[in-house]
Amino acid sequence: MLPYNFKYELRLLLRSRWIQLLSILLLVLFGFSTYNGKEKVEKRISDISNAKQEVKESDEAMLKLLDSVERGLEVSVSSWSIPTSPMAVGNNHPRVAAMEPQPMAFVSTGQADLFTHYIKPTVSGDDFALNFTEMTSPVQLLFGSFDLSFVIVYLLPLLIIAFTYNILSSEKEQGSLRLLASQPISIRKWVFQKLILRFFWLSILVTLSLLLVFFVVGIQPLEWVSVLGLVGLTLCYMLFWFALAFLVNLFVDSSAKNAVSLIMLWVLFVLLTPSVLNQLGNTLYPMPSRTLMINEMREQKVEATKRQDEILDNFLRDHPEYAINDSTQSRNFYHRYMASQKVVKEALEPIVNTYEAQLQRQQTWSKKLQWLSPAIVVHESMNQLAGTSTADYENYRGQVIAFAETWRSHLMTFLYNNTPFSQQEYSSLPQFEYSPTTNGTVGLSALVLLVISGVLLVFGFVAQGKSQKRGLLSN
Amino acid sequence: MITTNKLTKKFGDFTAVDNLSLSVKEGEILCLLGANGAGKSTTINMLLGFIKQTSGTAEINGLDVARNPLKTKEFITYIPENLMLYPSLSAIENLDYFSGIAGKKLSPHELTAFLKESGLQEEAFQKRISTFSKGMRQKVGIALALAKDTKVLLLDEPTSGLDPKASNEFGELLQKLKNKGVAVLMATHDLFRAKEVASHIGIMKDGKLQQEFVAEDISLTALEKAYLDTMNYKEVLS
Repeated sequence: MLPYNFKYELRLLLRSRWIQLLSILLLVLFGFSTYNGKEKVEKRISDISNAKQEVKESDEAMLKLLDSVERGLEVSVSSWSIPTSPMAVGNNHPRVAAMEPQPMAFVSTGQADLFTHYIKPTVSGDDFALNFTEMTSPVQLLFGSFDLSFVIVYLLPLLIIAFTYNILSSEKEQGSLRLLASQPISIRKWVFQKLILRFFWLSILVTLSLLLVFFVVGIQPLEWVSVLGLVGLTLCYMLFWFALAFLVNLFVDSSAKNAVSLIMLWVLFVLLTPSVLNQLGNTLYPMPSRTLMINEMREQKVEATKRQDEILDNFLRDHPEYAINDSTQSRNFYHRYMASQKVVKEALEPIVNTYEAQLQRQQTWSKKLQWLSPAIVVHESMNQLAGTSTADYENYRGQVIAFAETWRSHLMTFLYNNTPFSQQEYSSLPQFEYSPTTNGTVGLSALVLLVISGVLLVFGFVAQGKSQKRGLLSN
Repeated sequence: MITTNKLTKKFGDFTAVDNLSLSVKEGEILCLLGANGAGKSTTINMLLGFIKQTSGTAEINGLDVARNPLKTKEFITYIPENLMLYPSLSAIENLDYFSGIAGKKLSPHELTAFLKESGLQEEAFQKRISTFSKGMRQKVGIALALAKDTKVLLLDEPTSGLDPKASNEFGELLQKLKNKGVAVLMATHDLFRAKEVASHIGIMKDGKLQQEFVAEDISLTALEKAYLDTMNYKEVLS
């Protein structure tokens, strides 16, 4: 039966206008979403590049000033912005801590429309007050971005539903099922073969469309491994929807009921489950208010300002390396301010830790329950492939905070040693280098989807055997 | 070839087929006449294993249908009232597909030969089924019976809606199959065609085989009278 199903299923599909339309639609959707994703990545790269260019120009101006000062020339800038002051360098000439887009970033916007991609941490700034969020359009947040992951996670199942909802019911409605069922074949096997063949042909179509689109947008040779991961994950996700269609084809009778059942499953897995899990996560693990945290920080700062002299003394006692020249050097605003910053930070640590721990709990909970919806699993995996997942932005945030600390420490040494910043020191200024996360779960996600699909298909086989005994074609 | 023994099918309180016992041997054509709801199609559905009988047995080529649903279908070709094939495939492709999934691997030459034998015009072989009339589709069904080297042909009102010429051609094809030793069970309302092609004629009512005749022994008028008497249509006749 298989060779004949294989041969004629392809002929039937090729002669169907629907498959021709589907091929064009897939190409258009993949093409447009990839183009859209690429545009966003280009914009991100351009923003980072502009920020770096600004720093470069600012550094050139700083070096000129330092050169003039070191040569004893008079400079026409205000005294607090002369870069011999380490605090002037730390605040006015920060480095760019950029999250460079990963090669596959165009695949999924992920959290990229919520968070910024470069920050310039200053020496007097607060770690937790660093603004990682970006001004975003609420409309875009509501509807999401039209990227490749959106097409694969949300739209591709709809195309599969349109492609599979009536495999058996159309035969019944057209009358050809009676002729088929009068042949010495198992209808269950026949439906399974038809479905697998449609999966096979659609897989080829999807793979070719994706490869064509990637080829056109220009993928570097090394990125093809990620592309293959993406294609594999997409095929496993498609198989899940085909397995659902197999069950619906076997257990629901008319085409209309099949279509409605599959659309309801789409709503359940793609819309409802992610939304309910999100709401439940917020209810079970409510996040402490960030505004309250910032208010608390301000109060601590005010408190610290009142006790700055005392704080400075304590600080210098704790850091004798900064007190070496104390007897001969004067202490200014920044000495007291930087010391008090540390005190404020220590005082706020429990609040920040509570916030972080709650966030962690919420994310762990969501991660555990993501398996309830293959759509979440696939979207999250694609975000990981693209380097735009929540974990990626958490990783970036951690790296920026660590870099801000390095930046601060580096310049505080100059401050407390009362050493002026010079041209010679410029090359030793800390630089930010983003290290992306490497622990993707694409393989695991694909494997889990394969197992779920396998279970659904086996269940269909076993359960339909009983149903067939009752008389599949009794009507 | 076709045997039923006290075959009964109940749908709740309604008895569609009631203790039906019949037999069709090789090279015989049994035509079952009867009004709608008499149980003709239900009998065929049970012989095909589409529905399970409540009691009794149905056998094809000595094999119990309920116990050997797939094996018995190897011997059967079924042509329903409206034979639906794949409209976007040609006649030869449909024949290749259906005989192929039934386990008959045939060469294009053989497929063409069977279509010719079924009486389909050659220019129609490569045409899509969507352009075919009902009579042409029935011929493809007969070609399938030939291709499968079928032992049993089950026909459910195959001539209804056919014009007299097409109906006559169909009758001739049945005779050909009969001469090849095929056992044919045909449910029909067409008394004339039944008299023309059948070896035996049975009249069904309320799920029971009320009367059975040897076709040669009864005239068309007598058959019509027997049919109307059985159906209780005396008032209409008068």
